[in-house]
Amino acid sequence: MQLVRRGEAAAFELIYERHAQAAFSLAYRMAGSRGVAEDVVQEAFLSIWRSGARYERARGSVRTWVLGIVHHRAIDALRRSFVHERRRASDEGIDETLETGERTDVEAARHEEAATVRAALGHLPSEQSQVIELAYFGGFTHTEIAEMLETPVGTIKGRMRLGLEKMRHALGAGQVSLG
Amino acid sequence: MNDHSQWADTVGAYLLGALEPDEAERFEAHLADCPVCRRDVEDLRVAADALPVSVPLIRPPAALKDRIMSVVNEEAELLAAAGRRADEAGERPPAEDRSRAVGRRRRSGGRSLGGWLLRPGVALACALVLLVAGGAAGVLLSRGDDTRTVIAQTRAPDADVRLEIHEDGSMLVAENMPAPPSGRIYQVWLKRPGKDPEPTSVLWSTRGDGSAEVAVPGSLEGVEAVLVTDEPPGGSEEPTKPPVITAETA
Repeated sequence: MQLVRRGEAAAFELIYERHAQAAFSLAYRMAGSRGVAEDVVQEAFLSIWRSGARYERARGSVRTWVLGIVHHRAIDALRRSFVHERRRASDEGIDETLETGERTDVEAARHEEAATVRAALGHLPSEQSQVIELAYFGGFTHTEIAEMLETPVGTIKGRMRLGLEKMRHALGAGQVSLG
Repeated sequence: MNDHSQWADTVGAYLLGALEPDEAERFEAHLADCPVCRRDVEDLRVAADALPVSVPLIRPPAALKDRIMSVVNEEAELLAAAGRRADEAGERPPAEDRSRAVGRRRRSGGRSLGGWLLRPGVALACALVLLVAGGAAGVLLSRGDDTRTVIAQTRAPDADVRLEIHEDGSMLVAENMPAPPSGRIYQVWLKRPGKDPEPTSVLWSTRGDGSAEVAVPGSLEGVEAVLVTDEPPGGSEEPTKPPVITAETA
């Protein structure tokens, strides 16, 4: 029993090692603050350890699963805080962003993936990328975005859907590996 | 209120996490009845899942891992100690059948399998299956000279399945194994003489080529067979179908 438990802790550590960087990067992008990002990542990984969420292989890779949990935790954190205190990562500066020479092979591959997805986002009409950014990274609900942009809720929802459809097309429906 | 037209444009907001919690719940209820929206969700999920990949990479501080692992190791030790106590208590009544005991707890309103699955580490065991499948857990499954291999019986005509029993753990290795039926997942069970199959937390599927390597949890001491059945997502407390794989350890 003890060996099994030790094995599980080791397995958890392996998952942390593999996905902490992507998790922290996402949390930081959403929260715009190192302190909040650390809290979000800690909450997310401890919820994984404590099994508040269960992995379903049918829903995608472990990475996608972990990042989904981080995203939900970050949204919770953002919605707990006052909306106008939210900052973009660029507001604070990212002095730990990886420089090319520091990257491992895996990190270099991740960098390529990031560039591909950013390009797909960049090709969207601005009104579509705007609502996707506000919703996914800003943690705003569609009704909050509608109020913010003084646009009907139905229009906002339509832009979200259209934007995702165009992204999917640009990404070749799976050419960007999230494994 | 499962009118598709009411929800047609909601899929984007849902995948982006932009619905209010109650609206998300209602949309998920609609999804259960609407194949069109289910297909839309699956089609667009690839785009939503790609979004976190777009962010600039930042290394998390080492202290963050130290903090998290400190909590994890502490809780693992507590659980190990609790497990030892539970094992000791379980040894006193020799006739005690663990699987039946689990069943009694469920019927008497105690912790169900759902609660059992929510114990720390169990989700990790599920994730570990994938890591093993990805070849990333070699350190946990190192191969030694003391490996014993048992050829398993399987109901899948073309499948080759073996159980590799190591000193420090066991693994089911499958080739040409069909994926579980739609909406089902494979679950590993441990069969002891005269007892009902005991559920494990190991839920798995095959790769696209029909292969899989699945770590079997715990010791096989006193286990006469390792079984696999297909079960609903989340697993079952008692097998709901006959085994598709039977590996006799004796």
